[in-house]
Amino acid sequence: MTSTKPHSKDLSVYFTESAKQRDNSPLKSLMKYMSADPALVSLGAGLPHPSTFPLGALTTLVAQPGHMLSECAHPPATSIQVNQPTSKTEGLERFLQYGNGRGVPSYSAFARTHTASVHNPPYADWDVVPSVGNTDAFVKALMLFCDRGDTLVVDEWTYPAILGTVGPMGIRVASVRMDAEGAVPEDLDRVCGENRVRVAYMIPTAQNPTGATMSLERKRAVYAVAQKHDLVLIEDDPYYYLQFGAYEEPAEGVDRLRGLPGIKGLIPSLLSLDTDGRVIRLDSFSKILAPGLRCGWVTAPRYIADKIQFHNETTVQQPSGLSQALVSKLLNEDWGHSGWESHLLRTQREYAVRRDVFVDLCREKLKGLAEFTVPQAGMFLWFRIVLPPQLEQRQGVMDEVFARMIEKHVLLVPGRMFSAKGVDGPYMRAAFSYASVEDLGVAVDRLREALLTFQQEK
Amino acid sequence: MNTDQLAFNCPPSHASPKDLGEFFVPSMRGPTKSAFKSIMVNPILTMINMAGGMPNPNTFPILQLQARVKTPGATSSQPEDTLTIEKKRRNKTTECLDELLQYSGGCGLESYCSFLYNHTQRTHSPQYADWGVIASCGNTDAIDKALSLFCQPGDSVLVERWSFPGTLSKLAIARLKPVPVALDEEGMVPADLDRVCSEWGGATPLRVLYVIPTGQNPTGTTMSLARRKSIYAVAQKHNLVIIEDDPYYFLQLPKFTSNQGYDTVTDRTCGQQQALVSSLLSLDTDGRVIRLDSFSKILAPNLRCGWVTAPQYILDKIQILSETTTLQPSGLSQGLVSKLLNDTWGMDGWDAHICELRAIYTARRNHFVRMAEKHLSGLVEYTVPLAGMFMWMRVNFGAASADPTAMTRLLYKMNECGIMMAPGMSFNSTATLPSDHYLRAAFALVDIDMFEPALLRLAHAISTISGQSASVNDEAATNDASCSSSKYEIRAYVANNTDKVQLIAPVGFNVAVANGRG
Repeated sequence: MTSTKPHSKDLSVYFTESAKQRDNSPLKSLMKYMSADPALVSLGAGLPHPSTFPLGALTTLVAQPGHMLSECAHPPATSIQVNQPTSKTEGLERFLQYGNGRGVPSYSAFARTHTASVHNPPYADWDVVPSVGNTDAFVKALMLFCDRGDTLVVDEWTYPAILGTVGPMGIRVASVRMDAEGAVPEDLDRVCGENRVRVAYMIPTAQNPTGATMSLERKRAVYAVAQKHDLVLIEDDPYYYLQFGAYEEPAEGVDRLRGLPGIKGLIPSLLSLDTDGRVIRLDSFSKILAPGLRCGWVTAPRYIADKIQFHNETTVQQPSGLSQALVSKLLNEDWGHSGWESHLLRTQREYAVRRDVFVDLCREKLKGLAEFTVPQAGMFLWFRIVLPPQLEQRQGVMDEVFARMIEKHVLLVPGRMFSAKGVDGPYMRAAFSYASVEDLGVAVDRLREALLTFQQEK
Repeated sequence: MNTDQLAFNCPPSHASPKDLGEFFVPSMRGPTKSAFKSIMVNPILTMINMAGGMPNPNTFPILQLQARVKTPGATSSQPEDTLTIEKKRRNKTTECLDELLQYSGGCGLESYCSFLYNHTQRTHSPQYADWGVIASCGNTDAIDKALSLFCQPGDSVLVERWSFPGTLSKLAIARLKPVPVALDEEGMVPADLDRVCSEWGGATPLRVLYVIPTGQNPTGTTMSLARRKSIYAVAQKHNLVIIEDDPYYFLQLPKFTSNQGYDTVTDRTCGQQQALVSSLLSLDTDGRVIRLDSFSKILAPNLRCGWVTAPQYILDKIQILSETTTLQPSGLSQGLVSKLLNDTWGMDGWDAHICELRAIYTARRNHFVRMAEKHLSGLVEYTVPLAGMFMWMRVNFGAASADPTAMTRLLYKMNECGIMMAPGMSFNSTATLPSDHYLRAAFALVDIDMFEPALLRLAHAISTISGQSASVNDEAATNDASCSSSKYEIRAYVANNTDKVQLIAPVGFNVAVANGRG
C-alpha cells in the first residue's frame, strides 16, 4: 500500500543559525564505514569494551498491565530480563554502549509504531527521536527556531520551566488569553498579527496549570491559525493519555468510570491534524510510567528530528540505556501494545477516581470560597480564590492566602508562578495526583479553614 | 546538595573559593533561584503537598530491580553478585524504587552524590571550602552547561590544539570561538597558554580554559604533576576558569617499556599499583576548576551519568540550568550505580574495579605499542599513552609529505585494506590550522589478537601511499602487495575466530548504519 500522504512543508528556512549548523558528529559519521563487512577492523571509535561493563543481566519485576498498587499490596507481576538480544530488543551490552542521538533502535521502534497507531500523522516524512523528558525536548525544539530577541507564543498561564528557560535566553513571550478549553484561537490570531512570532507552545491536554483540555474543534481552530501565520506548534502533551472525560455528580448505582476513553476514545492530537508538518509533538513517559526514567520521545518531520538528534549528541547523547532497556523490553515484548493500552486505561481510572473524589469534596466544601472549571484530564485543578471585594485589590493578598494555607498545613502553588505576563491573580494550582484519597479530604478541609479566615475579615 | 548531611566535613582551615560569579553570563548573575524551590518552605511532616505535579508511586509499575554485577578482582569474568532495589525503602543508605522513579530536584540522588562527594574528597582533597558535587548526564552535557554559564555568543574559549569533537561542535554552534593552545608530549604547553593569554586582543576577554588533562582525546597525552602545576599557575595569572574534562582519569597506566612481554592480564590485584597523578582539582586553591567526571569509561557509557565538582555557588547555577532542561540523570542509572558503589562494592570494591580496568587497559596499550614498534617503525611517530585508550599517530608520508591529497588517499587506502582509524581532521580545534597527517587509534574495543593484523594493514596502506618500503619486520606486507588479498587474510582470521569477530563491529551499529542514522 503506497502512501498518498503529502510531504511536510519545509520550515527549515526559519531555522536559527545554530540550528542550520547542527550536523552529524564527524566521529559518529565514521560509523557509516563500519559496514556489514566484518573484515573491516575499526580502531576509530573510542568505545570501551563491553567486557568491562560490570553489569550482567538486569531483571525487573513489573506489575501486569492494568494492575496498580493502589488496589493491593502485591499486584500480579511478571519478571522480565534484559540480557541477551532477542528478535525485538537488543542485548544489555548494546543498551549500555555508546550510540548516537537517535538512541537504541528498539526504543524508537516502539515510539514509532505507537505514534503511527494513535496519531497516524497525516504527512509522509515524520519520524521520532528520543528525549530525556519533555522539558529538555522543549528547549531543543525551541532552539531550532528561536534566538535571542525572538518571541515565543505561550498561554497566559503556563509551565514555569518554560518561563525559566526563555528569560535567560533573551527570548520574549507573547501571551494568549485562555478560556475553559485553553488558548483562545481569536486571541492567538491577534497575538500573531501584532508580534513577529514563529513558534507557539501549547499543552493541549490537562494544561499546566489551568487543567484545561482542548476539544477537537478547538484544536482545529488553533491549527488553522497556525497555518495562517506559518507557525511551528510545540505540542507538549505529557498528560495526553490521562483523559477521563466530563465530570458527573455522584449518583446511586451509577459507575462514573464507565466511559473511560482508553486509546480509541482519546481526543485527537494536534499531530493527528498536522497535514503541513508544523507540529513538534513531545511525548513523555513521566506521567504514564515514571518521572525518574527520564525518557520520552519527540515526533516531528524527519529533517527536524535529525536536528534534535544532532543536538542530543552535543548534550545528553540519549536517554539512559537502563531506562530505554526497561521501556523497550516492557513495551515491545512483555506488555506489548495491548498491554500498554491496558496500563493506560488503568492509569486513566486512577486519575479519574482522584478527580472525582477531589471535585466532589471541593464542590461540597469550597462553595463561595473558590471557583474552578472541572478538569477532564490530567492532575491539576486551577482555583480562582473568591475574596471579599475589599480584599481583592489588596497588595500582596495572594501571598497572605498562601501563608495562611501553609499555617493550616496545606501546600498549593500560587498562580503568579505560572504567569507569562508576570502578573499576579487570585489563582492557586492544586495537584490531585499525589496525596492519598484520605489526605485529599484533609487537604480540602484545611483549604476551607484557610479561606474562611479571609471571608471573616472585616 | 546539603553538605551538612554528609559524614565528612571540610577541614575548617580551607579558605573560601574566589568569587568568579562576575564571569557568569548576565542572565545567570545575581540571586537566581528555582521558582518551585522558593515556595517549598521548611518541610513539615503534616503538610499535605498538593503542589508538585508528581504522580503517586502506586502508579509506578516497576516493583523490583535486580542486576547481576561482577565482583571486582574475581578470577572469573562472570557476574557474581546480585544487587536488588526494592520498591519501598528498606535501608538507610540507598533509595528505593519509589524514590528513584519520582521527580526530585536538579542536583541528583542523595546517596549517589554522597558517595561521590566522599570519593572526591578521598581522591582529590579539594583545597578550598564550600565545594560540592552534582549529578550530571555525562560529560558532554556537563560541558554544555558549564559553557552556558560563562560564555555568550562571540566569546572565545581556550582549547587544546587537538580536542574532543563533541566540545568543538558545541563551540561552533554556540558561536564560541576556539582559541587553540599548543600541545607537546605531555599535553598543553604552559608557555603557549601564557603567550596566547598575554597577547590576546579579542573583543571579549578570555575567561574559560577547556582541557582534557589525562589520556587526552585525541592525542592520548597525560600531563605530569609538574605540568599541571604550571598550567594552574598560568590560569591563576590570567584568572581563568578551568573546565577539567577528565573521563580517563582513573585509567592511568604505568610507563611502557619495550621488553614487556605480551601476556594476558593475570595480575588484576594492582600489585604494582601506581599512584594516580594529581588532578587539577586537587591543586585548586582558588576554586577555579570545574571538574567533570563520568562513569562512561569506568562503568558503562550509556548509563548517562557522571558528576561535576566545583564551588557550591557554581553548582547552584548548574542546578538551575538542569531544572529547566534535563532535570537530572535517570533514576535507574543513579540508583543502580549508587547501590553498586555504596552497598555492593563499597569504596574498596570500587578501588579494586578501577585496578582491574587499569590492568586491562595496560595490557591493551602494551600490545598495541609493541605491534606499532614492530610494524610501523619509520611510518608513524607517536607518544606512548600513559592513560586512556587513544594513540595518536603522525603519519610519515616520506616523499609524498608535501602532497595535500596524501591523507585523503591514505584514508581510502586504509578502507580498502580493511583498517579504519579516526582522521586527525575530526579533532582539529580550528580550521585555520592544518589538519596535518594524524590518525587516532582507539585500542579499547577491538580484540587484542586483531591488533597485529590491523597495524599490518595500516603499514601496508601507508607504504603504498608514501611510496616508502615498509620496515624489514613487515614480512607479510612485503610478501603480499595487494590489499584485496590482505583482506582475504583478515577474512580467514575472521572465519576461524567467529566468537571474536563480533567484537569488531559491535552488534547494533550495523542496524543504525543501515538505517542511515550514523
